[in-house]
Amino acid sequence: MTLDWSIVWESRYALAEGAKLTVMLTVITMLIAIPAGIVLAVMRLSKSRVLSTSSMCFVEFFRNLPLLLVVYWAFYVMPVFMGIEFSAFTTGLVALSLNVSAYNSETFRAGINSIRKGQTEAAIALGMSRGEAMRKIVIPQAWRRVLPVLASTWVSLFKDTSLVSVIAVGELAHVAMQIRSQTFRVLEMLTAMAVIYWLMGYPQAKLVDWIRKKYEVKE
Amino acid sequence: MSADDPMLTSHQRRGADLPPVVVYEEVRKLFGDFVALDGVSIQVNQGEVMCLIGPSGSGKSTLLRCTNALEVVSSGRVIFEGKPLPSNETEARKIRQRMGMVFQNFELFPHKSTLDNVAIGPITVLGMKEGDARARAMKLLDKVGLTDKAGSFPSSLSGGQQQRVAIARALAMEPDVMLFDEPTSALDPETIGEVLNVMKQLAEEGMTMIVVTHEMTFARRVANWVVVFDHGKVVEQGPPEQIFDAPTCDRTRDFLGHLGWNG
Ligand SMILES: Nc1ncnc2c1ncn2[C@@H]1O[C@H](COP(=O)(O)OP(=O)(O)O)[C@@H](O)[C@H]1O
Ligand SMILES: [Mg+2]
Repeated sequence: MTLDWSIVWESRYALAEGAKLTVMLTVITMLIAIPAGIVLAVMRLSKSRVLSTSSMCFVEFFRNLPLLLVVYWAFYVMPVFMGIEFSAFTTGLVALSLNVSAYNSETFRAGINSIRKGQTEAAIALGMSRGEAMRKIVIPQAWRRVLPVLASTWVSLFKDTSLVSVIAVGELAHVAMQIRSQTFRVLEMLTAMAVIYWLMGYPQAKLVDWIRKKYEVKE
Repeated sequence: MSADDPMLTSHQRRGADLPPVVVYEEVRKLFGDFVALDGVSIQVNQGEVMCLIGPSGSGKSTLLRCTNALEVVSSGRVIFEGKPLPSNETEARKIRQRMGMVFQNFELFPHKSTLDNVAIGPITVLGMKEGDARARAMKLLDKVGLTDKAGSFPSSLSGGQQQRVAIARALAMEPDVMLFDEPTSALDPETIGEVLNVMKQLAEEGMTMIVVTHEMTFARRVANWVVVFDHGKVVEQGPPEQIFDAPTCDRTRDFLGHLGWNG
């Protein structure tokens, strides 16, 4: 079997476009899923039964479904329910955001719960409202515990974006698979894809390790 | 003003001629079926230092927490400056602003500098300008002898220093009454004195203080009124000379004997 690596070089612009979309999917998903995760966590911890139960249902639903299924679900079911067609990119973004928001919610909840009750009480004893205590005292401290977990989620998300290729979002995996099916250069394209994911993912993983070390809670 | 102030006859309780600051009327507090406070009726006068003593689990902390509405009483009333504590949270918040609380474990905010720990109350709760609040905080750090630690974070301070910052943080709200819940119980013996000195100084300035403590020497010397708790009830109350030198109640004697107090 002869290998023809020239196909990789010839496809460089298409691959670069795909990589760009992969990064965009990751970044935009996180930009949505961080505030959504905070809102879901605060709802879950609120005294209102309705808020806390609906948050719990949402989180447990999306956290326990395979992401691939959510992607298909968003693709086939969402347009029927909402009556609008979304672009493949938007559909992929919705699926990823639902999944990651559910994960982030649990991350934030654990972070908030890790702060001693006495901290909230000290804030309330000063005359702060529960909301002020949460914003000024609890959440700023919870960040330190949350950040390393968010960083790991980020790295997983970066790789998981490849799942939206099944609904023809033109991110890196989809582009590479397209070229493969047009040129039958399976080994070359899979290798190229692996190298690109690795080159982009490795520095992120290293960054996560660094964040973990830096924010490790010493008590 | 001290307990042996010549202006006071031995029977006149401090602040007796002024309206009381806090009055507890038949206060009961239940946690489920468990009775933590079982009909407590006492009063705290203006300028008084009242020490609450008694075995662990007897309801002292619960009474303090009912005072600033961190806990809601199950029955009875807590009357602060003539008005019963409000049941609505927004109103309760206004009351808490006028009461300072100091916790056994300090509960300083670890993500803020010492200065900002003291300034955060006035900034967040009173809406004071940051500069003004920090100036006030600096004065209070001076009062507790910690201006040199203004920029440090709580984790770099000793326990005694942290507790002094916590006192300054409570004072920054300019409260009418200070609640202390075993402020020296978590401290190394060598730093207890510095905290007690700050509290003594506050007492001398006329601050109304309710102090839960196991420091019997402090209670004996600084308090003008001592209340002994057992099983959610007040078993005896009176001036320290009575409680420590001539307790009228067996359980007071037992408790003091247990602590090794022998007059
Ligand atoms: N939030 C709570 N839930 C259930 N029981 C409590 C709670 N807070 C206090 N208690 C119980 O009430 C009793 C009195 O507690 P506390 O007021 O802390 O006593 P003290 O401060 O005198 O040691 C204890 O037996 C304690 O276990
Ligand atoms: Mg206690």
